Amino acid sequence: METLGLLGGGFAAALTPENLLWALIGVVLGTAVGVLPGLGSAMAVALLLPVTFKLDPTGAFIMFTAVYYGGLFGDSTTSILMNTPGNSSAIATAIEGHKMALKGRASQALATSAIGAFVGAVVSTAVVAFFSGVIIDIALRFGPAEYFALAVFAFLATSAVVAQSMVRGLIALSIGLSLAMVGIDSQSGAARFTLGIPSLFEGVSIITVTVGLLALGEVLYVASRVHRGGSGTTGLIRTTGTPWLSGRDLRRAVPAWIRGLGFGLPFGAVPAGGSEIPTFLAYGTERKLSQLRARRGKRTDEFGEGAIEGVAAPEAAASATAGTAMGALLGLGLPTSATAAIMLAAFQQYGMQPGPLLFERNADLVWALLASLFVGSVMLLILNLPFAPLWAKLLLIPRRYLYAGITGFAVLGVYASSYSVTELWLLILLGLLGFMMRRYAIPVAPVLIAVILGPLAETELRRALAIGQGDVGALFAGPITIGIYAVILGAVALVAVARMRSARRTRAEAETADSVR
Amino acid sequence: MSLSSTPAESRGTDAGPRPARSARHWWRGRSEVFVGLLTVGIGLFLGEQTLTMHVPDNSASPGPQFFPSVVAVLMVVLGTALALQVIRRPAPEPESGPADSEHRAHDQAGSVGELVDGERPPSGAPAAHSDWRTIGIVVGSVALFALLLQPVGWLLSGALLFFGVAWAFGGKRPVFEAGVALVYSSVVQLAFVAGLGLKLPAGILGGVL
Repeated sequence: METLGLLGGGFAAALTPENLLWALIGVVLGTAVGVLPGLGSAMAVALLLPVTFKLDPTGAFIMFTAVYYGGLFGDSTTSILMNTPGNSSAIATAIEGHKMALKGRASQALATSAIGAFVGAVVSTAVVAFFSGVIIDIALRFGPAEYFALAVFAFLATSAVVAQSMVRGLIALSIGLSLAMVGIDSQSGAARFTLGIPSLFEGVSIITVTVGLLALGEVLYVASRVHRGGSGTTGLIRTTGTPWLSGRDLRRAVPAWIRGLGFGLPFGAVPAGGSEIPTFLAYGTERKLSQLRARRGKRTDEFGEGAIEGVAAPEAAASATAGTAMGALLGLGLPTSATAAIMLAAFQQYGMQPGPLLFERNADLVWALLASLFVGSVMLLILNLPFAPLWAKLLLIPRRYLYAGITGFAVLGVYASSYSVTELWLLILLGLLGFMMRRYAIPVAPVLIAVILGPLAETELRRALAIGQGDVGALFAGPITIGIYAVILGAVALVAVARMRSARRTRAEAETADSVR
Repeated sequence: MSLSSTPAESRGTDAGPRPARSARHWWRGRSEVFVGLLTVGIGLFLGEQTLTMHVPDNSASPGPQFFPSVVAVLMVVLGTALALQVIRRPAPEPESGPADSEHRAHDQAGSVGELVDGERPPSGAPAAHSDWRTIGIVVGSVALFALLLQPVGWLLSGALLFFGVAWAFGGKRPVFEAGVALVYSSVVQLAFVAGLGLKLPAGILGGVL
């Protein structure tokens, strides 16, 4: 029951007026960026990072994690009301959620998603709090070879497995690795790729990279499209009635929430680039289960016409990833999503290294953070359950002010973090890079993961090789490393087979289409 | 969830061997070749810099050149692969409808939808044409900000940046937008300089503030 005592101390810290205020600011901001399409919690944390440098770290991290959780609550609102997912984590919700709204059940869909997100957030945070001891035990067994394997896993999972094109994902990864190598090499002291520019000796600032790629890149991408095509105002569905679920709805939603948790919890701890995979897996499972039930004659298959399970399961899965992602970040120092990667950078800013030692050295911060996640989840439920239609009104903000404001914040943050105009020119270059990547559908998450884990991967690789005295076999010694590499190989093989199959099907379809013609 | 795009291969082979339709036609849907070439270029640059790097004598055995060489080779290979892939299969024509955020979100789902549903995401981004004028105004505003920040100060250069971006995004009432821009930069000044203690250049208004 040591955990309960620690968590109690955490609650005492989290419930101080100051920390409650940071949590509130975080959840409001997180919900807002979640609701707005194109903006996400990763961009919000990247913009907040430099301006909160002067804050007490506990308050700052409470705000960052609240933004992260808030983003996963807010993203479903516009999915349901307008069929416009606020983030990729809410695409699966949009499929059935919007159908429910069209049938006049918008309030029920919003309630199902808000409660599902709440269940996911609370359960996953509890899992992390009560299993933190186990996570630390595992982490303590990790040496250089294991950490390198973990970094390779994160690199390949985000770039080769999740990205829609393996080549584009790996290009993103290599761009990130090359950005990470700029500066003085910490082990030998050699200057690498600095072109003799003094401000590059310390490397490219992570703040400039994240703000450039996520914020300015997004602004430029929207700018390149804003005068093309429609104004983007899709009809907002009016909600009627109370957001309460009937007993019949609950009997269907509760099992779906629990099944959603089953997908979200493990995937949050795996560096697979966020919550998209578990939401789609949860959605697919619910659809198959519904077909199965229909075949047995129990209930008609409602999928395609607004099935409540299709909203409940993906939402619970999405927010369950947030908790376990925080667990992997705090316990192992392993970022499993773009937002977690930026938070890892934030820890480094404050001179802290997430990992097993964090629970010893900064125990106050860790437990206050975990406790505030419960507090934040309750705040989010209150903010989202009755007020979801109000949040959708955020879309009425004129886009020119929204993006002008983001640009202003981007330059402010980058300048304030370095007080150097050189960083602003670098910001422009990285913004153009971010625009190019969006334009050609090259994923951004692998760049962030590579920039942040790149130095760690290189250090651990060289350390492992030095320990093994140049023997490459040292990288594959021990059951943990072999296990990690086996999982990577399996995942890559699985995706390659799936791709080949879909390519063959495309070709077959093209041939039949030709023969018809 | 209809992610199916028209199979691009058939069109690609029709359009290929007709030089009369000018080089411009060939580039349509193949502009991503540039990304591949850029990647190869960065890879070559990394390689050249790695070879000529000054390595301190006391370095341990896998030295500072080891990791960069791996990345450099990787970039050259990947860039070539991307360029070849785009040449063989150009991006599909832009859809006539607005490229709405829903479509983008579907693109972001990546191979996930494919794994779950057996549906195919498009092979690449649709070949829509970018509006370089608007991008130019936004980038120009940021560049102007970088030039003006230290001499002129945050209040005015920040307002000018806000005004420039808002104008690029289609602002129509210059006086009103300028007012909004000044309010924005003043609020930021109050919240972050007075409130959170960031140091922003005061510039020519230094005496007044």
